[in-house]
Amino acid sequence: MFLEDIRVTFKLIKSSLTSMIGFIIVLGFLLIGIIAPYILPYPEDAWGVSYNIEKSFLPPSIEHPFGTDEMGRDVFSRVILGARFSLIIAVGVVGLALIIGVPIGLIAGYVGGKIGEALMRITDMFLAFPPLLLAIALAATLGRGLLNTVIALAISWWTWYARLVYIQVNSVKTLPYVDAARVIGLSSLTIMFRHILPNALTPVVVQAPLDMGSAILEAAGLSFLGLGVNPPTPEWGLLVTEGWASINRAWWISFFPGLAILVTVLGFNLLADAIREASDPRLRRILLVERRV
Amino acid sequence: MPISKEYIIKRLILLIAVVFGVAIITFIITRVVPSHPEFLWAGAHPTKEQLEKARRELRLDQPIYVQLYYYLLDFLTGNWGVSWRTRQPVLKDIQAALPATLELVSLAFIIALIIGIPLGILAALKRNTRIDDLIRIVTITGASIPVFWLALVLQLILSSWLGILPSAKRVDEYIIYETKFKEITGFILLDSLIQGNLQVFMNALKHIILPALVISFYPLGLSARMTRAVMIDVLNEFHTKSLAAWGLPKRVIIYKYALKNTIAPVIGVLGLSFGYTIIGAFLVEVIFVWPGIGYYAASALISYDYPAVIGCIVTAAIIYAIINTIVDILHAIIDPRVRI
Repeated sequence: MFLEDIRVTFKLIKSSLTSMIGFIIVLGFLLIGIIAPYILPYPEDAWGVSYNIEKSFLPPSIEHPFGTDEMGRDVFSRVILGARFSLIIAVGVVGLALIIGVPIGLIAGYVGGKIGEALMRITDMFLAFPPLLLAIALAATLGRGLLNTVIALAISWWTWYARLVYIQVNSVKTLPYVDAARVIGLSSLTIMFRHILPNALTPVVVQAPLDMGSAILEAAGLSFLGLGVNPPTPEWGLLVTEGWASINRAWWISFFPGLAILVTVLGFNLLADAIREASDPRLRRILLVERRV
Repeated sequence: MPISKEYIIKRLILLIAVVFGVAIITFIITRVVPSHPEFLWAGAHPTKEQLEKARRELRLDQPIYVQLYYYLLDFLTGNWGVSWRTRQPVLKDIQAALPATLELVSLAFIIALIIGIPLGILAALKRNTRIDDLIRIVTITGASIPVFWLALVLQLILSSWLGILPSAKRVDEYIIYETKFKEITGFILLDSLIQGNLQVFMNALKHIILPALVISFYPLGLSARMTRAVMIDVLNEFHTKSLAAWGLPKRVIIYKYALKNTIAPVIGVLGLSFGYTIIGAFLVEVIFVWPGIGYYAASALISYDYPAVIGCIVTAAIIYAIINTIVDILHAIIDPRVRI
């Protein structure tokens, strides 16, 4: 069944141009994020350890496709390395949110009763904040830095996964095979983690990687408010903010990092859109029938 | 059928519970998470006396439940601390900044509705054509674009390069003085209309239009997409099909019958998008030097004005909760199924 899901999803991706574009963007982003440090034209500029004032504010050219900033650093190199930091933040936020959210949803769903009720009410309290706001509060309390950014975002993020798992566990736990496991005397922990969890994870497994786009976007928002990573880390949101002061003199310093955010997040969202459509039963049926013919 | 009183009361009780939850979480973040909260509350580079004073005000020498009790008491009585930057009570600063934000966000939602709904109808009628694709792309782009970057780029092009629109503030100060404009509600557009002061109105409109457009981008795409989806469903239902069979013109069916059915879901989805939109507005305010809560909060963040930052966050969360309540009640009025 799971293999069939993947096959249908890929078929859907191939069938629409926009989701194909999304797929390619995401793949490209992952690739660049992984190999970024090895393909930098000006590695020292990218890490922000060098400056050559005589080269400052150069407009885009062949040597500097995205121009240079006020310190004479190559913006292109910084944007490329920024992909690595965005990838770290995205994986970190989604990963940590899963580590917090999945067990809470699982326990709340399986144990149920007063404990489950209490856990879900706590989850609801976190949802009372608009997105990013809780992260702003936490980041303002914890201070700047890569790790603090990830923690702040993950704590405002896990509730979604807790709810998804909770709903799924509730529908799985009444199935006969769970009763069977209980009858043969397996412990609650074994049932929860070995037998219920794998079957409750599918929606989260699909959702979580696609949320990485939103995580990148929110991290950029934090950086813009001066709460994200520390300079001179080339995080995309921070690069936009750094170029803001001299935008009338050199638009390229802010423009290209922002464009990188837009393209990457767009890629994730286009892909998410295709997969959401793939989970629409009407569309699935049409595709499945087509395949069998 | 009028909406039941019980539903509204139930919803209002939930609202109180949510605000209470917001207060508790804020307490945990500001007092329990940091190991030395007095450093955050005493401003940048505090002296020993300032630290001592902050410690006394926060009652850090007392057990945590006593701290929580006084915290909630202060929260309810509007004693939200004093801003280190403006030397004013935080709540007073926020009251002064609130109308500017509300005006901006309201206009953004109005733009989203008057462009989004017709666009959605168009997409539903021209299904699977270029227009349909375009709206899909606008919607997804709206959710993917860093809103502060969009604001920066548009400000650069329209204000700095082309000089069509002003780049900052709500209104030009000299016009306020020249025309003896008086504030009544704090909404400049509304106040100038009440006073028949067209000069201020046009000037304020010119200032607000660009930030409002930037903010409206996200809810606009959402409302267009929701309208499209509902419209397609409604047009496929039997009651609309039978209207067509009776020979009613398509125009009448769409605008008189089908459109009514789209309103409830569109309001619902706009309500859901409100949280995201207001955060977007905060970031855009910073770019356009818009004297609202977002700008106030960002200035406070830069100067380590912690009480002001937390006050803004609590305010935004409360507004979010109130809007959600209003949307739910509106939803129930329009769509009777929700009331159950």
